[in-house]
Amino acid sequence: MKFVRTILVLLVLLTPVVSAVEVSAQDTVTIEWWSVNSEEYSEEAQRALAEAFMAEHPNIKVNLTILPESGFQDKMTTTLGAGEGAPDVAFFWDTNWYPQALDLTAYIEADPDLGPETYFEGFWKTRAVWQDKVVGLPLGVGANFVMYNKDVFDAAGVAYPTDDWTTEDFIRIASEVADPDIKRWGGDRPRDAYRAIWNNYGAFLYSDDSTTVDGYFNSEANIAAYTWLWDLVASGATPTPADIEILGTEGTGPVDLFMAGRLAMATLNQGHMLNAIEAGVPFGIVPEPQVPGNERYVNAWSLTSSIWAGTEHPDEAYEFLSYWVGPEGQRFLMENGNLFPSIPEVLAEYEYADQDYAQAFFGVLELKQVAEWKNEHPCFGTVNRAVSDVWDLVELGEIGRDEIASTLNDYMDDAQAALDECVPRLGG
Amino acid sequence: MSQNSITTPRHRWRNDWWLITRKIIGHVSAYVIMTALALVFMIPLLWMLSTSLKGRWEIFAWPPTWIPETFHWENYQEAFAKYPLARFMGNSAFLVVMNIIGELVSVPLIAYGFARLRFPYKKTLFMLMLSTMMVPGHIKLIPLYNVFSRLDMIDTYWPLILPSFFGNPFFIFLMVQYIRTIPRELDEAARIDGAGTWTILYRIILPLCRPPLTVIIVFTFLWTWNDFLQPLVYLNDFNKYPIAIGLAFFRGRYSVEWNLFMAATLVSIIPILIIYFFAQKHLIGGISSIGIKG
Repeated sequence: MKFVRTILVLLVLLTPVVSAVEVSAQDTVTIEWWSVNSEEYSEEAQRALAEAFMAEHPNIKVNLTILPESGFQDKMTTTLGAGEGAPDVAFFWDTNWYPQALDLTAYIEADPDLGPETYFEGFWKTRAVWQDKVVGLPLGVGANFVMYNKDVFDAAGVAYPTDDWTTEDFIRIASEVADPDIKRWGGDRPRDAYRAIWNNYGAFLYSDDSTTVDGYFNSEANIAAYTWLWDLVASGATPTPADIEILGTEGTGPVDLFMAGRLAMATLNQGHMLNAIEAGVPFGIVPEPQVPGNERYVNAWSLTSSIWAGTEHPDEAYEFLSYWVGPEGQRFLMENGNLFPSIPEVLAEYEYADQDYAQAFFGVLELKQVAEWKNEHPCFGTVNRAVSDVWDLVELGEIGRDEIASTLNDYMDDAQAALDECVPRLGG
Repeated sequence: MSQNSITTPRHRWRNDWWLITRKIIGHVSAYVIMTALALVFMIPLLWMLSTSLKGRWEIFAWPPTWIPETFHWENYQEAFAKYPLARFMGNSAFLVVMNIIGELVSVPLIAYGFARLRFPYKKTLFMLMLSTMMVPGHIKLIPLYNVFSRLDMIDTYWPLILPSFFGNPFFIFLMVQYIRTIPRELDEAARIDGAGTWTILYRIILPLCRPPLTVIIVFTFLWTWNDFLQPLVYLNDFNKYPIAIGLAFFRGRYSVEWNLFMAATLVSIIPILIIYFFAQKHLIGGISSIGIKG
């Protein structure tokens, strides 16, 4: 009995230690804001932004929770799945979360300062609008482009790539600059099919009306894109996916290899560009290679920032969201962090806008976005997963160059079945 | 005719010499192999140490270097300056202590019940309890979140502590198996001497259960120290995060600061190494005794 009594006393004593103390003021509304710490918006910058907002809105308290990048997805998925405990305002960067985002259409229509015309058109279309609803506002811009290490090119005596380079140029230059003796690769490989280079070839997975894969998955354009990949793999000038995985880039792009001078060219993004500037690595930027005569695409993104549909304070949440992702907030994060705003008039104020790298980055943003087609075709992911073996077979060098067309034909039924199954479920 | 009868002193000396040499060669080989294996197992740790002292982009240079060009001891300082790692480790230590208390309170009680007491549907309940081990933790996450949310315990340590006070099926299973190996005669003798159930448990059974209790302490320590998902889901306040979450902050959206990450990780595993150093004898003894006797 003495033991049980000791435990009970211990529990009673510990209660105040582990209990959260809830402080609530009667006249203020607290908005829960979840975010991550990033190269573009540090914790300090975001806390300062919240302070600035609260100074202007004394009736609203913003409670910022900073989560690790790798945990944000799990925490959001859990709380949204539980239907409780989700934040009032947060990134809704997973499209699966969109159904639980508050429809902002009415707020946007009533807001004289904010609307579709405020943002880059492409990002509004791909990151704010979903199924005719406004599910969020796009924060910042990001894009993939090819960064090349000038020192490595100079040492190899190879001319730098230029904006008008082609996919064939990519393989040629990568092969010229690669040096297996010192474990240096010329360029990286695309991370998946149907990104910018596939679109540059004019290759799409299925028809625009989402009815058939015939004439698309097995099209000449798709065969050409896969043949280009086959040639790139066969050149030996690129690290394998296993190399990339082992050499520690954690799915963010092979920046570590690039910065160490072991990858002469790499498909990276504006965050990596900032890394290179900080480290003093001399680099240049060109868009992903084009296919002459075809429209050119870019894999670009912005972070959908939304209000949870379950919020108890939608008005106050919108007040904060429109500040954070509006011109004021994005300007604040640009000046106090490294954000590239998704608002053209604010981006134009970027301090180093006249630098070559900034001009090159801004130029890439003007290309047509890969996400546009994907956003309008919600079954893309399902169909792509059904045929992902084709990608693996080419990447692993398990089929011959002349077997690409027949391999695509072999997967036609799987692709069509996936499309037929998905469209009634998610829409066309 | 026995072999000894034809053994001359010279033969005997040769035999002895051969035996001694064989013994020495055996010992030396064993040590060489074990040292080599130990070094192989040490490689990740040594690489972590080397990485923690390198410049950020030196890590991926070719050929790889074990000794950094310049020793960046400031990486450790920077890692601690960037995030409150000491606080995170303190939070982890608190969770570890509380979970160990919880398991030590609950597991012996439940295990003793299953191992010694008689009650209806005992086998069924035992099987039911064991079957909960088959349910992946991720599946329970959302329902448990709902439960703790309704108890108004989100952003407190309770969801991370309370479950341990209700027992862990794996530990209960271990303990039941161990208690079953203790002769019932000891219980009966104590009962004849006037001991009740509680006295038998705490005075007779528990003192004999040191091996499984050590296993419980060490595993609870490891699992709690390394747990990332549950604290992530239940805690919102940055200052309450344990070290497993703190380390994740070194991975940015677009890149990882490997040198700082390794410096922080190396410091964070020191408590685990210390615990293992002191507990390894009991831990291995505990596991083997449970395995053999169970």
